[in-house]
Amino acid sequence: MFSLFSDFFACRDNLLSRVDPRAKLVVATAMILCVILSTNPALPFLVFLTCVAATLALRIPARLVALRLVAPMGIVVALALLQSFMAGGTPVCTIPIGPWRFTATHEGIRTAVLTASRVCGAVSVVLLLSLVTPAHRIFHSLRWFRVPQGWVEIAMLMYRYTFQLLDLTADLTAAQQLRMGYAGVRRSLASMGTVCGTVIIRSVDQAVHTHEAMVLRGYQREIPFGPMPPVTACACGGTALTVAALLLLYVAIGRVG
Amino acid sequence: MNHDGLGTTRLGPALFATAALLLCCPPTASAMHISEGILPAPWAGLWFALSVPFLIWGLRDLRVRSEKEPMFKSLVGLVGAAVFVISCMPIPVPTAGTCSHPCGTGMAAILIGPSLTVVITSIALLLQALFLAHGGLTTLGADIVSMGVAGAFVGYGVFRLATALGVPRWPAAFLAGLLSDWATYAVTSFELASALHGSASVGHTFVAVAILFCPTQIPLGILEGLITAAACRFIETRRPGLIASLKQPGGGAA
Repeated sequence: MFSLFSDFFACRDNLLSRVDPRAKLVVATAMILCVILSTNPALPFLVFLTCVAATLALRIPARLVALRLVAPMGIVVALALLQSFMAGGTPVCTIPIGPWRFTATHEGIRTAVLTASRVCGAVSVVLLLSLVTPAHRIFHSLRWFRVPQGWVEIAMLMYRYTFQLLDLTADLTAAQQLRMGYAGVRRSLASMGTVCGTVIIRSVDQAVHTHEAMVLRGYQREIPFGPMPPVTACACGGTALTVAALLLLYVAIGRVG
Repeated sequence: MNHDGLGTTRLGPALFATAALLLCCPPTASAMHISEGILPAPWAGLWFALSVPFLIWGLRDLRVRSEKEPMFKSLVGLVGAAVFVISCMPIPVPTAGTCSHPCGTGMAAILIGPSLTVVITSIALLLQALFLAHGGLTTLGADIVSMGVAGAFVGYGVFRLATALGVPRWPAAFLAGLLSDWATYAVTSFELASALHGSASVGHTFVAVAILFCPTQIPLGILEGLITAAACRFIETRRPGLIASLKQPGGGAA
């Protein structure tokens, strides 16, 4: 998980990373809404294929995409199976195993496919957004959208120091592993507790240093967010056209089903 | 949605099939976050609306305490980052043959209190949704309610109650970690069941989802409790008084 948490690819220069982050947030939100409001799995699957194709076209490693999709897929499999077998309706097939008979229904499978398609579509949109937009630009845009100052400040601090603490955790864990710190359950738990405690103590110490450094740079209880550049006519037009196209697709495909 | 009672009769086979599949090919168990796209729009909106008052409470708390102690925002941000990192640590879950990760909300609630834990949980969930594909933007409200609100308030309440009853800090921390984790999963199960029950009843679907979580979440809750207790014990040994000072304005600067 540590290796997955990186915005290395978001900082690369490409066609989508150059787009105004506010426009990307609006388009992503519209896409996700179309996906979760869709009653036809074709639209979410179309969004999924488009986003995955765009991700791969931007030369994001397929392995990273697959790894990030593993977690949501796990819950999708569980829910899809539950929905397939629990919903009442027209039986499609029955599989007898031991004392039980597994009967999947037409309605259940249909609901399961719709749920799975929505998850695939929506997750792929978020994945693409995160791979073409650095976190600090997302936070700056959120402030522009009037998200409370305190929340954005804490988010920026958390994001900034997460990487430093991840490095510390990785170093501590490696040192413990070399000294058999994870040989056996008891030692593993004690080692993990030590790592957690050390990370918390270090974070408190770092908070003092960070605050002092911020005060030296003129910090007065609030991190100043400089004005964002005005949204260009091109970004506005592109956003409007994309959202309109999405709405058309939603009306044409998403509501059929 | 007609309730034809089929949900009851199909519960056993469905559970068996799903559990068998999950045990045969276990995914990374990170089911504490409801994935993007799972909740229908009205349910996503409802849970988001429910989470907003707690976020406002947390932000108000942050503002008030920052006015008394200018360093407080840095402290919350850094402790939030630490808890986020801890929540990313993989824990092997022997019964499911897979890895999971702790919620961290019990520990955060002990350190900075429940209202601020809601704030840092909302940020951690956003970061996880964006960079790890755990959770999502539309399901952020539901995830905040289950992890941030239920996990934090249960963990904090249990810790306060246990310490008030004279239980030493580290067993109290164990109970806080354990019960905050289980509370998170109970609420997540309810959120999934209420939105996705279809023609089966909410109660049966809740039981089904909760039972599905059991193979990973019962041991994970115990492990989270043990890690929370070990971390608290370590902090108490190295920095006595730090936990108590963090919850007061001006604390933590030692």
